[in-house]
Amino acid sequence: MFAAENGLEGDPRLKAISDAITVVPHFPKPGIMFQDITTLVSNHKVFKHTVEIFVDRFRDMDISVVAGVEARGFMFAPSKALGIRTKFIPLRKPGQLPGEVIAEAYELEYGKDCLEMHVGAVESGERALVIDDLVATGGTLPATIRLLERNGGEVVECACVIGLPALKERRLLNGKPLYVLVEPRA
Amino acid sequence: MNALSQPSPLKIKEAKIASSRRSSVFTKSCFFTPNTAAAPSRSDLLIYSRFTAGASATAPERRRMSGAAMATSNVDGTDDRISRIASTIRVIPDFPKPGILFQDITTLLLDPKAFKDTIDLFVERYKDKNINVIAGIEARGFIFGPPIALAIGAKFVPMRKPKKLPGEVISEEYSLEYGTDVMEMHVGAVQPGENAVIVDDLVATGGTLNAAIRLLGRLGVTVVECACVIELKELKGREKLGDNPLFVLVSET
Repeated sequence: MFAAENGLEGDPRLKAISDAITVVPHFPKPGIMFQDITTLVSNHKVFKHTVEIFVDRFRDMDISVVAGVEARGFMFAPSKALGIRTKFIPLRKPGQLPGEVIAEAYELEYGKDCLEMHVGAVESGERALVIDDLVATGGTLPATIRLLERNGGEVVECACVIGLPALKERRLLNGKPLYVLVEPRA
Repeated sequence: MNALSQPSPLKIKEAKIASSRRSSVFTKSCFFTPNTAAAPSRSDLLIYSRFTAGASATAPERRRMSGAAMATSNVDGTDDRISRIASTIRVIPDFPKPGILFQDITTLLLDPKAFKDTIDLFVERYKDKNINVIAGIEARGFIFGPPIALAIGAKFVPMRKPKKLPGEVISEEYSLEYGTDVMEMHVGAVQPGENAVIVDDLVATGGTLNAAIRLLGRLGVTVVECACVIELKELKGREKLGDNPLFVLVSET
């Protein structure tokens, strides 16, 4: 669900967050309107809004794990983990995590990619959040959910700063609630 | 710009003497928790910190200290915090290749208090020091940099691998053990005259940090200090940084 429909309608922080995102046309390839969040993270006040909104939402939901996906997810997820005093688990491209890992493949527009997570990072029954910068219709978040669940975690919600409008009609991402702050900028 | 003082970091070798009494972290059934019976006692942690200030590499003698002495030698709990942080770092041999002892900070991130203490120690050092920019190096610098930036009111600027940043970038090539790599940052992310701290999880040879220093310098930014959780002293990164100050929490001798 979008934050504006879930108690934050008219909240000026949402407009500030949207305005802080820069659209870069035709990156990384023609036809894509890239949502560049670097101008958001370099705006201290607005970056702080994203932390406040997520922490306010998740503080009392008995979460013990926040997972973030390399690399832009690493810019957003850890501060929320610190805000609600949970563990932070990085999910990474293959070969980056040392020690014992489990892997999950997922589809890209052309071809496949793979995410890895440490075995034992989540304990059975722990309530987990996944936080990322943007959710499109790609496979990163579902792969993340599957990895956490294979390790025994219970994914309570996925939360993203930016989400495609098409998802408005589909509040659940693979059976999990999805919470989004803003739509992509045109 | 005020000079920042350089307290000596806790030597990780000595911190590991405490942690070797625990079973290895990261097995599914007995994952590290801070309050297990095998955790080092408060007085032991204080003894380690007293021995690291200019100490030799021999194992510290373990003595009990009086309650009064404990209070005065660890006023803000810094030594306790650093000991705990050091004890959460897991060493993985032969990763990514044979002969390398990999310093894994993911176990630190699984201990909310250790992670918070790590950020707090950097924040205490840099807040109210007119730092405008925290530059974090992809990817593990992205984990530590933003919380520090948020706490001190600075902007966070990612220093990235090639072709990840859209828009106008500048690039800097730097040496690896075999071959070279390239680091990029956005033109326009920073302004000339701003003060920056560069953040990464670990400094080894110093090549990556040097590349970041050069990039920021090309845009007129003053790099006040480089800040890392871990330093691998044998690889002499500090020397490679030359006059550029380096601050670390934990030093692997």
